[in-house]
Amino acid sequence: MTTETRTPETQPLRRTLPRIPDRFAAFGAVLIVVVVLAAVLAPWLAPYPVDDPRPLERLLPPSGAHWFGTDQVGRDVLTRILYGGRTSLFIAVAVLAVSALAGVTLGVVAGYAGGWIRDVIMRVTDVFLAFPALLLSLALAVVLQPGVNTVILAIAVTWWPWYTRLAASMAASIATRPYVDAARCLGVPAPLIILRHVLPNSLTPVLVQLSLDAGGVILTSAALSYLGLGAQEPTAEWGLMVQQGQTLFTTNWWVVTFPGLAILVTAFAFNVLGEGLRNALDPRRAVK
Amino acid sequence: MTMLRAELRADRVTLGYGRRPVVHDVSIDITEGGVGLIGESGSGKTTLARAFLGLLSPISGNIWYGDQTLKKADMRKFRRDVQPVFQAEALDPRMRVGTSIAEALPRAARSRVPDLLEQVGLDPELAGRRPHELSGGQRQRVVIARALAVGPRLLILDEPTSALDVTVQARVLDLLASLDTERLLITHNLAVVERLCRTSHVLFAGRVVESGPTADLLANPAHPYTRALRDAVPKLGGDPPEAKGRTEAVPAATGCPFRLRCPLAVAACEQAPEPRDVQGRQVACHRAEDVLT
Amino acid sequence: MSDHLIEARDLRVSYGGRVVAEVPRLDVGAGECVAIVGESGSGKSTTLLSLLGLTQNAEISGQVRVCGVDVLTASPRALRELRGARAALVMQSPHAALSPATRLGVLMRRALKLHGVRDVDRTMARAMEEVLLDRELLRRYPHEVSGGQAQRFAIALAIALGAEVILADEPTSALDVTVQAEVVGVLRRLRAERDLALLLVSHDLALVSTIADRVLVMKDGAVVESGPAATVLAEPSHPYTRELLEALP
Repeated sequence: MTTETRTPETQPLRRTLPRIPDRFAAFGAVLIVVVVLAAVLAPWLAPYPVDDPRPLERLLPPSGAHWFGTDQVGRDVLTRILYGGRTSLFIAVAVLAVSALAGVTLGVVAGYAGGWIRDVIMRVTDVFLAFPALLLSLALAVVLQPGVNTVILAIAVTWWPWYTRLAASMAASIATRPYVDAARCLGVPAPLIILRHVLPNSLTPVLVQLSLDAGGVILTSAALSYLGLGAQEPTAEWGLMVQQGQTLFTTNWWVVTFPGLAILVTAFAFNVLGEGLRNALDPRRAVK
Repeated sequence: MTMLRAELRADRVTLGYGRRPVVHDVSIDITEGGVGLIGESGSGKTTLARAFLGLLSPISGNIWYGDQTLKKADMRKFRRDVQPVFQAEALDPRMRVGTSIAEALPRAARSRVPDLLEQVGLDPELAGRRPHELSGGQRQRVVIARALAVGPRLLILDEPTSALDVTVQARVLDLLASLDTERLLITHNLAVVERLCRTSHVLFAGRVVESGPTADLLANPAHPYTRALRDAVPKLGGDPPEAKGRTEAVPAATGCPFRLRCPLAVAACEQAPEPRDVQGRQVACHRAEDVLT
Repeated sequence: MSDHLIEARDLRVSYGGRVVAEVPRLDVGAGECVAIVGESGSGKSTTLLSLLGLTQNAEISGQVRVCGVDVLTASPRALRELRGARAALVMQSPHAALSPATRLGVLMRRALKLHGVRDVDRTMARAMEEVLLDRELLRRYPHEVSGGQAQRFAIALAIALGAEVILADEPTSALDVTVQAEVVGVLRRLRAERDLALLLVSHDLALVSTIADRVLVMKDGAVVESGPAATVLAEPSHPYTRELLEALP
């Protein structure tokens, strides 16, 4: 039997699609590895103790002794950034793990099942989306102790519905694919269909979204820290550093600029990685 | 043979999504020798196929499976007996095709995958490939192998070859014709119906407008729509196909749905025609006699 | 200088050294219809796109003249003018070529103004009439028209802009047969009335046999047979052409 494999006519066309080169994605991945390593190895890398205010060395500009300068109470900014990465990354990972797990589970069920099951899940989702995120977090903080765990809970509570929506719309479209109908006609039970066909084929945008969201979570946790609901002094956290340093921007730019850059670089790296994932996870592109 | 009731049949089913019906009051028996369901886009043919597969419940009427309606039937047995063959895209893009084929097989029977692949004319080695690593014709054969895995007695074929190149299409049709199962074939392609189905039904706007032996139907249509369809198919070296009537005219909401496109429409067509017996077939047209001459 | 509107010699299109289409000779004169037939992967669409300089990242050699413009050496600007007005491309998926948020009338008016067509209203009305479309359609958005209507609109746009050549890539394969008949009817009439040159890429030999004067049969990037449609399809000399014909249902 002759095997015409992939047609030369479609291949060149695919090549014309705008594509982020793989090298770029690899660069993002390397950046993330660097950021994660820096955070994990902070106790060994940091030139100074994390909480060591020296009133006489307040607001020193960057120099050989303090590469990124010192802050308003005389702590080394580089040290604070290295340690702050631990807090910020932990918050991001925790929030996204909780949101994705809850959101995607509910989403694929809603999207596949349709009907009243979908209606119930999506209405609950809408209720959560209707609450202003900060208000809900404030309420939570009143009940709970402010701190990193509260931040995680507060952000996750307002974050998961987006994953539900994303997963539900993906799953609903997957559920109409002929291969899902074929599985149903073979008598495969619904939970297995969801697990084998709907979930894996809905995941790509979720993974991409996760990478793209990492930066957003870090920024949101910064906002909560500012309101006194998040990480508390003396915990080092990027958002907290930016918020505390922002009034000093015109006079002592380094206090806010370096933690800001840390957030930017990390968010950017996750973004690039997200794009790379999108390409790599597409089975039609993986074979090239 | 024809004395027996068909194993699977639609009895005055009206089908739709939400409230709006797209198939109206259709009765079709899946008899021996292959049954064709001919229609263009929007005719409701795929909706009917989904109902026959138990994927869509009728708004009214029933799908009968033996002497039970599908609502009450033993679905485990039904799922073994009746299998779909959709277009080649009906494979999970992430799943190796061997896994797809084995999906519904009990663990002990998974060793049959190579045999199934051979049965549809594929190299058993291909089991480890993913769908995008196969050609369109190979994918279509995998879809057929998956359907055959559970040993069905009836295949519901929904446009099984329309996405394929002609030479590949011819070979897949040979394969389908050689299979030892009953079949309901849904297509817009008259030549494919001629090849695989003894009986055919022509659907227009969710209604059966003409039913009968396929050969008679195509040689000598009794409904103006069947005739328009047949005449529109280009023939090798023949005259250019001619469009009769305005194809963009939407199906009429009352009376004969085809009347706004029909070159023979008369005042009487504002009354919906009941299907009636004309020269050995069922035709829903007031002017069937004029079409036949 | 010949009077062919499309003229290609020793055309060879390759991607990264791999030749995907090789056409030694292709001529389409005014009022003529030439068809390239073949299966997927034969290089037929690539050939058509290369004639308008629309293949990206491809290495093309040979000579191509369309409406007198040397496509392979022309400036991007000259190519845009050629594609915009004198040589029109009609694609398989008619809706893909229409911007979803623009009414058809607005789209056509803009295109005509861009190309300095005078008497826009009359030109539009006449073009719509020629493809048998109701003028009311101009008020609609692309999603509000059927595939056959969108395809005829694409043809109307081409003739309103004064196209002398229409290059059509599977223009009817996404359409129902009854609708296909209508679109083909429009193309045939325009060809006769306006002396349009028509280059048709299709997998459907039966369809091609009813409309084309000459046929090129392509397989795996090469032209295996060419000649008058009647001869090639009635007495094919190449085994592949025979195989194609025998496969016809």
